Amino acid sequence: MRPRRRQPAAPQIVRRLRTAAPGGRTVFLVHPGALPADVHRALAAALPEGSGLTVLDLSAVPEYFDAALAGGRADTTLEALAAKLRAEFEALPEGPVHDGRPYVLAGWSFGGVLALEMARQMSEGRRPRRLVLLDSIAPTQAYQQPDEALDPPLLLGWFAMYLGAKRQRRIRVFASRLAGHSAEDGLLQVLDAAVAAGALSPDTPMPGLRKLYDTYVDGLLRNNRLTAPYRPGPAHAPIVLIKAEGSLIPEDPTLGWEELAPHGLELHTAPGDHYTMLARQDSAEMIARLVGVVDNPAVDNPAVDNPAVDNPAVDNRAVGDSRGGDSRADDSVAEFCPPTVPASRDRVG
Amino acid sequence: MAAVTAKEAQDWLIDKIAHRLGVSSDQVSPEQYFDEFDLDSTEALILAGELESWLGFEIGTTALWYHPTTKDLAAYIAEESEQRAAAS
Repeated sequence: MRPRRRQPAAPQIVRRLRTAAPGGRTVFLVHPGALPADVHRALAAALPEGSGLTVLDLSAVPEYFDAALAGGRADTTLEALAAKLRAEFEALPEGPVHDGRPYVLAGWSFGGVLALEMARQMSEGRRPRRLVLLDSIAPTQAYQQPDEALDPPLLLGWFAMYLGAKRQRRIRVFASRLAGHSAEDGLLQVLDAAVAAGALSPDTPMPGLRKLYDTYVDGLLRNNRLTAPYRPGPAHAPIVLIKAEGSLIPEDPTLGWEELAPHGLELHTAPGDHYTMLARQDSAEMIARLVGVVDNPAVDNPAVDNPAVDNPAVDNRAVGDSRGGDSRADDSVAEFCPPTVPASRDRVG
Repeated sequence: MAAVTAKEAQDWLIDKIAHRLGVSSDQVSPEQYFDEFDLDSTEALILAGELESWLGFEIGTTALWYHPTTKDLAAYIAEESEQRAAAS
């Protein structure tokens, strides 16, 4: 290991994971961190030939990223973060300002909320034709929760899901066994399960795992606090919501978006959980089909098997559910067995 | 707790990194940038938590960014540790 004298490169907001061929369309996606932006390479590979994928990585914004490492309080607002991403987006040569063609703006998790706000801030001619949200929870009052509502059993379950996705292992923890336990007791359960799954080394120290957990939770709290004062109006474009089969709120069909979707809401379910839906090939292929639809879905993409595609007039309602696979398939890499009735709703990024 | 010296902090860090990487300590240079080790962010945070437990105080995870080599971080830790020891 010979030392090399170089300063680590500063992270970049704009990440071009795939460059479109001349004349090809580029999909834009807002990524909120938690996982590296490279996780979207599965989607990039699944897009049709000639397509591009440009990711706007929110974790490259210092005031956002640092907040997860310093107590979960960001010294900024959701609107300001969206404005920063929008400025980068509008400067892209492959973006709508220069390209001028209709496009789709997507966002994963908290990134979907940022995508909504970016689109709201854009002038009419620059707005996306559709918003595609990947397991994002709507920033509406009904779906907001105070920090105290995020209790350890719920957070530990999500943390196990996250850790499983990071280490590409299936980590089995059960909400019923986490219930009533403190974070410390629950972390011991997660540690045992993670070691058993080969996701963590057997000599992983508890203070180390606690640091990882605390940082994860601070990231959630940061997003929760950024969303708390945010009161968006409705979206200016139709919304396509792709829930993960193992979503953070598995039993909720719309994650609250009907209230913000006067131009229509399409619902789809992708295989995997909140995190693995991004890296799984079956899920990425499904997402690729849906982000590839720019205009009239029935014309552009007849392969999409959703009732809303056949009936675009259906709007502002839960319109159906196209299941893209089975989250218990062998290539699933994380597993959290949630309670029957989740106690809370939060934004995770 | 007595103040931790830069040498002690550096030796501790190198020992832990070498263990994680499965190499001997003399193969880990104190001037190498953290992002050049094959440690992912999960391992880096676990290491940070273990370090804080050893030190008995939080160093702030952003310190790993602002002090991106073992040598730099060890110097920072020694300075923090001395200030805390003097204040106690």
